[in-house]
Amino acid sequence: MSVTSRPAHYGFAEHWLPRLVLAPSFLLVLVFLYGFIAWNGALSFTASRLLPNYEWVGLAQYEALFASERWWVAVHNLFIFGVLFIGGAMVVGIVLAILLDQKIRLEGALRTIYLYPLALSFIVTGTAWGWMLNPGLGLEKLMHDWGYAGFSFDWLVNPDRSIYTIVIAGIWQSSGFVMALFLAGLRGIDDSIIKAAQIDGASLPRIYWRIILPAMRPVFFSTLMILAHIAIKSFDLVMALTGGGPGFSSDLPATFMYQMAFTRGQMGLGAASAMMMLVTVSAVVVPYLYSELRRSRHV
Amino acid sequence: MGALAIKNVTKRFGDTHILKGIDIHVDSGEFLILVGPSGCGKSTLMNIIAGLESPTSGEVHIADRVVNDVAPKDRDIAMVFQSYALYPTMNVRQNIAFGLETRGVPKREQEEIIARVAKMLQMDHLLDRKPGQLSGGQRQRVAMGRALARNPKLFLFDEPLSNLDAKLRVEMRTEIKQLHHRLKTTIVYVTHDQIEAMTLGDKIAVMKDGIIQQFGSPQQIYDAPANLFVAGFIGSPSMNFIPAHLASEGGAIGVSLQSGEAACFVPLPDSQRFARYVGKRVIVGIRPEQWDVANDGGGLDCKVDLTEPTGPDTIVFTQINGIEVQARLHPRDARAPGSVLHLRPDMGKVVLFDTETEIRIG
Repeated sequence: MSVTSRPAHYGFAEHWLPRLVLAPSFLLVLVFLYGFIAWNGALSFTASRLLPNYEWVGLAQYEALFASERWWVAVHNLFIFGVLFIGGAMVVGIVLAILLDQKIRLEGALRTIYLYPLALSFIVTGTAWGWMLNPGLGLEKLMHDWGYAGFSFDWLVNPDRSIYTIVIAGIWQSSGFVMALFLAGLRGIDDSIIKAAQIDGASLPRIYWRIILPAMRPVFFSTLMILAHIAIKSFDLVMALTGGGPGFSSDLPATFMYQMAFTRGQMGLGAASAMMMLVTVSAVVVPYLYSELRRSRHV
Repeated sequence: MGALAIKNVTKRFGDTHILKGIDIHVDSGEFLILVGPSGCGKSTLMNIIAGLESPTSGEVHIADRVVNDVAPKDRDIAMVFQSYALYPTMNVRQNIAFGLETRGVPKREQEEIIARVAKMLQMDHLLDRKPGQLSGGQRQRVAMGRALARNPKLFLFDEPLSNLDAKLRVEMRTEIKQLHHRLKTTIVYVTHDQIEAMTLGDKIAVMKDGIIQQFGSPQQIYDAPANLFVAGFIGSPSMNFIPAHLASEGGAIGVSLQSGEAACFVPLPDSQRFARYVGKRVIVGIRPEQWDVANDGGGLDCKVDLTEPTGPDTIVFTQINGIEVQARLHPRDARAPGSVLHLRPDMGKVVLFDTETEIRIG
């Protein structure tokens, strides 16, 4: 075998070209993502009000944050919203996927219909559901006009219930997406497995519960990841639907942060709450990334 | 007692006729092969036997009971699939136990059955593995174990060896045959591989276009194929089909064969049965191994075009009546390409086909 020596400039290009190509995006990410995260982290230790200043106050903003009732309402709401939204979207999505997987007619059309809400922005979803749930405009008025005068559905304006309207709109928007993910997974299941289970005497619900859904584990986890981070950073849906109200009863950490940092001149407090959200997202995503990356290295 | 009877079963999807009137009867303990090219309806027929699809018309009897309206699980059958169809998230033990569990077999009994099956198929060491950790052959074994655990009246095998490599396929073929000898359970086995059909079957149903072309023992089908399709499908290398004139010469009826400049008239034994075809064109079917080298100077002088040594035999290619013909000869008798061989067909075994209907004559 003969080794041909390459021209010197070729080695130079091969060495530097990939770096040059990647450099702009690397720089952008470094500055605008990690740089601003670091800046935000720094601001959370300052007494910044309307504008950033660098008067260091240590952990005072975090102390104020943890002492704030409104913050705990937001965290509590995030917990309710996260659990119900993820659980609800998952259940509705899986059920839709299973029903669509029964080799029915018009599957393509139905799939598109269910997936369509995902094409809308959360702002549109929030506004539309806001009208529907508004007692003076939507469902309640409709029922009253029809003569059901006793009908009452005021969750949108009820401080104890307002968070659930966000859950409803969130599930409506995302369950089609969950359905699409699971449908793709279900399509990957060999038909003869179902036949074998039928001959083995299992009923259809049992086949799904014991054989098919357990095989969907990877899809389940990917979906969970995607929904979890949607839930944690939910902002636009709340703003469009309830604006965090009535009062601050339907605040989520993201809206809390926005309010503090940009409308109430509490930038330091807002920065501290943003850091808390970053920590929460990391707590969800990092273990997932770790397990995924480790797996791909083993395979 | 009839283990399986299929009576005039048809299957239609809209205007597409998949099965056009299938009749099969299998006795208890027999090994039935459904063989045919892809699209011939054999898998549909299998699914109908299993109850995974229902026939458009006709009846399916299992153990002398009409099962048309009986669910698959109540038909007392077990099935092995081409893709093995193991439950991916369960280990081997759970795979075997699943069917027993659904049937409410007590835990202790389940364990006994699993132990028995594992011993029979020598897979004790695999019981705690997941299907993903098994090789193709091992998965095949587990799939068979799952079927055996149920101890059914009827085993259905749907192309079970198609996903295995050549060597393993031969091994598993032997194993399935031994298993059948030991268990004496009725087996219906779908394949597109004519060698599997010949080696395994007690009865073979050769199918094409939703019709059973021939139903009989492997030897019957090999020696006396019902038509041109069956003759060409069964046997490898496949039968030579030589177009020829049936003529009467000196009181004997025979065919004339021609290769290059050489020609000869080959009389047929017991030839009166062909009398009404005298003067007509027929197709002469001669299997490759039905050629002999005539060292006494008789036979047809054929120029060798190509040889394919296989070890025990050498396949010699030549031209007769304008058609490429293969002859399977002992390596000692074969000649190099370009030389001339005196080939003589074994006329006692030759079959003739009608040119138009493609059905065997006589």
